[in-house]
Amino acid sequence: MAAVNLNTIRSTIEGRLATELALSPVIPVAFHNQPLTPTPNSSFVQCLVSFGNNNFLTMGGTTGSSNSVIGVIVMNVFTPKGVGPGANLTIGKRIRDLYNRQVVSGVHFDPPTGPEVVASPAPEGYFQTQVRLTFETFEDL
Amino acid sequence: MAFFRGQQGSVKFDDGGSTTVAIASTRSWSLTVEKETLDTTALGATYRANVGGLISGSGTCEVFYTATSSDETNVFIERVNTATDQGGALFELFLDTSGTKKISFTGTVTSSEYSATVGEIEVITVSFVTNGTITLDI
Repeated sequence: MAAVNLNTIRSTIEGRLATELALSPVIPVAFHNQPLTPTPNSSFVQCLVSFGNNNFLTMGGTTGSSNSVIGVIVMNVFTPKGVGPGANLTIGKRIRDLYNRQVVSGVHFDPPTGPEVVASPAPEGYFQTQVRLTFETFEDL
Repeated sequence: MAFFRGQQGSVKFDDGGSTTVAIASTRSWSLTVEKETLDTTALGATYRANVGGLISGSGTCEVFYTATSSDETNVFIERVNTATDQGGALFELFLDTSGTKKISFTGTVTSSEYSATVGEIEVITVSFVTNGTITLDI
């Protein structure tokens, strides 16, 4: 057993989304600290993975013990402005179904929140919604 | 002055009563040692008198369910379902990670509460009572 590899967890989360959005219809996706220049009047997704609370789970020292590692995923869905929410919610459903109550490579995904409409899209010129969910994984030392 | 936090504790167990093995995924343990009292107040006395009587202990241990099998942790969580229990299982409850500060005794598992709650890790609460001497090496 070893300390948790944060990049392995991130890869599990991001890889799942990248694989899904590479299917037809393909939706460009950008992750943390990555540039993306969206095509005007097209759709794209921004996925932000953050690690949060870590908690004691079991008794024990630096070996033979377990911790809980919790994080949050925020996914911003951008679709063309002025044509209604349909296309946006279609993407939102794809994302929601992708994580909803799934357990993948030891990462437990909670039920997602959203897609919630964002009143002031950033960048401007798009219709934006946000899907958020927490996840938990277990570190075995 | 040394202080200790709960995660420094641990539990070891052996149903055979000889060589204990660490119970995996233990969240907590507790033990209450009680001494009965005998009233020895003399007739006509103003103040009540008591002397110590029999000593016994009871406690609980919370274990996360990990689907473990064929090991002492599995035996521990299933011990309550043993048809014949002579009270010979050996318990060791540790207070620090050095492994020297412990409470040891033989005893009997009296109940196991298996529970599952949506959104939470599944927990099994094992209750036990002591059988005979309780050794406090703390």
